[in-house]
Amino acid sequence: MINLAGRDILHGWGKFAFTGVGLGLLIGVTLSMAGIYRGMVEDATVLIEGSGADLWVVQQGTLGPYAEPSSLRDDVQHAIAGMPGVAAVGNVAYLTMQAGHAGGESRVMLVGFEPGRPGEPAYLVAGRPILRGHYEAVADEKAGFRVGDRVRIRRHEYEVVGLTRRMVSASGDPMLFVPLKDAQEVQFLKDNDTLVIERERTAANPAFNRPGVPGLLEAVQASQAQSRQVNSVLVRVAEGADPEEVAGEIRRWKRLQAYTTAQMEEILVAKLIATSSKQIGMFLVILSVVSAAIVAFIIYTLTVNKVREIAVLKLIGATNATIGGMILQQALGLGVIGFVVGRIVAGLWAPVFPKYVLLLPGDALRGFALVMVICALASVVAIRAALRVDPAEAIGG
Amino acid sequence: MVDEGVPAIRIQGLRKRYGAGDTAVDALKGVDMTVQRGEVVGLIGPSGSGKSTLLKCLGAVIEPSGGRMEIAGEAIYDGGWRIPDLRALRRDNIGFIFQAPYLISFLDVTDNVALLPMLAGVGNAAARDRARELLGALDVAHRAKAQVSQLSGGEQQRVAIARALANRPPVILADEPTAPLDSERALAVVRILNGMAAQYRAAIIVVTHDEKIIPTFKRIYHIRDGKTHEEAGEGREP
Repeated sequence: MINLAGRDILHGWGKFAFTGVGLGLLIGVTLSMAGIYRGMVEDATVLIEGSGADLWVVQQGTLGPYAEPSSLRDDVQHAIAGMPGVAAVGNVAYLTMQAGHAGGESRVMLVGFEPGRPGEPAYLVAGRPILRGHYEAVADEKAGFRVGDRVRIRRHEYEVVGLTRRMVSASGDPMLFVPLKDAQEVQFLKDNDTLVIERERTAANPAFNRPGVPGLLEAVQASQAQSRQVNSVLVRVAEGADPEEVAGEIRRWKRLQAYTTAQMEEILVAKLIATSSKQIGMFLVILSVVSAAIVAFIIYTLTVNKVREIAVLKLIGATNATIGGMILQQALGLGVIGFVVGRIVAGLWAPVFPKYVLLLPGDALRGFALVMVICALASVVAIRAALRVDPAEAIGG
Repeated sequence: MVDEGVPAIRIQGLRKRYGAGDTAVDALKGVDMTVQRGEVVGLIGPSGSGKSTLLKCLGAVIEPSGGRMEIAGEAIYDGGWRIPDLRALRRDNIGFIFQAPYLISFLDVTDNVALLPMLAGVGNAAARDRARELLGALDVAHRAKAQVSQLSGGEQQRVAIARALANRPPVILADEPTAPLDSERALAVVRILNGMAAQYRAAIIVVTHDEKIIPTFKRIYHIRDGKTHEEAGEGREP
């Protein structure tokens, strides 16, 4: 039997190709939206994995350090380091900010860490680790910096000495690793006028400026200009130790909040990017409806333009299944063209997106199945119209 | 349904009423008609006389209101349809030729003709063989691979005739097949129809207003006010 749908598509291939490309661009946007969601989840997962920690210890009653602000004294880590089941601890400070570079600015997540402890960059793809105590940085390559570049953060310049990969914040900003002391200074640094005014006020306070106690005023002023706060203490548990058990001990004895990897994933995926996920979900629904409407309109128009031929087909004995099958196959054919184009363009423009777009084969398969279902449903209106065509229309009078 | 001894089509007292009550219109009021295999008859009458209604009843696309119709001796209608699958009835027993060729634009010439046997379950190769044979008989074999849009009007009409013959039907209904043609081409179509009726033993009923071809029929049915009157035609050579 002749494949009527295939012949019709080949006969009007230009019309089909253009329509398929148009539909494909729409499907490409839909696949990209799904890829953006997957990218967000992947970023969150990489953020957790890349930190090299088994536990995140944060301020009690907070969901820090990524989803909520958290502030701890940096000497808390010493108390945690001595607990059973703890192999290593590291203070970290996080701050999302603008970094000046080559006359412009880049959005980065500044990470203060202690070399050799949890929280340092997982691996380098270029350059070397930070060796000096100040003003050196390791950047994620997505920031666009190169080894040797100088990056301005607040009032200091940092030299990029190494590059790492796939180290981004939950919102996709590339990480810029600097020594912890530098990050603390950046995070809590006051401007010069404020410092001068505070020093004057302190000096004017008789409680701090006692003539009989030399050095008291300088000590108070120095404490005002320093910060000993960090956002989190990252903990690596000893081999064989149960992270959940260690977290429970920290919560019980140190009056701090401790999250395991699974709990941190839950916070990042279910809470931090939940609203974005719903937003993307809504877009996916709308794009699916728009795609269905477009396919339905196109197939309906193609069918209406063939009313006389359909009447002739019915008159000469073609069954409803033959005619319905022809329209259904055309709709599915349009879907296949659209999907192939959509998958190609989504792959082409994914690297250009500022945020990570992760196109999973499983999502593509699900997307293909969805496109086929949408096209099949969209063809129903046209099939109903075709089946209502009276074969008598082929006979004049 | 092939039996040379019985008429290809026999109609007795066929009636068709549109609507009901005060607005009812009787389009056919008891039509009688008998056409033998291999015969070409004319069906003529003024507009609104019931020609198209009769053609649609014969083509099993509208249901008559009463009477009896037989194709090749088998009752297809007798106060109600006697054949459950009217599509199959049309596909296997009735060929259609329209005023315009109405070929399927997205199929080439061969497949336009081969489609009917394929719909009837004939294999692709056999159906295309049959199509090529008919196209050869109608002198359009050289256009077998052409698209419909590449054919002239006369070629398209010959392909349409080949399509009507593709399933070897006992009855062919031709609705104004020469209307858009000049005299020479109209008479050529009649010659083809006569030749095909003789060669393939089909009964052909030609609905026409065309004064050029009416003298070529040996038998003519006049239809007026829903009734037919049979008369002998001139039977001139087309």
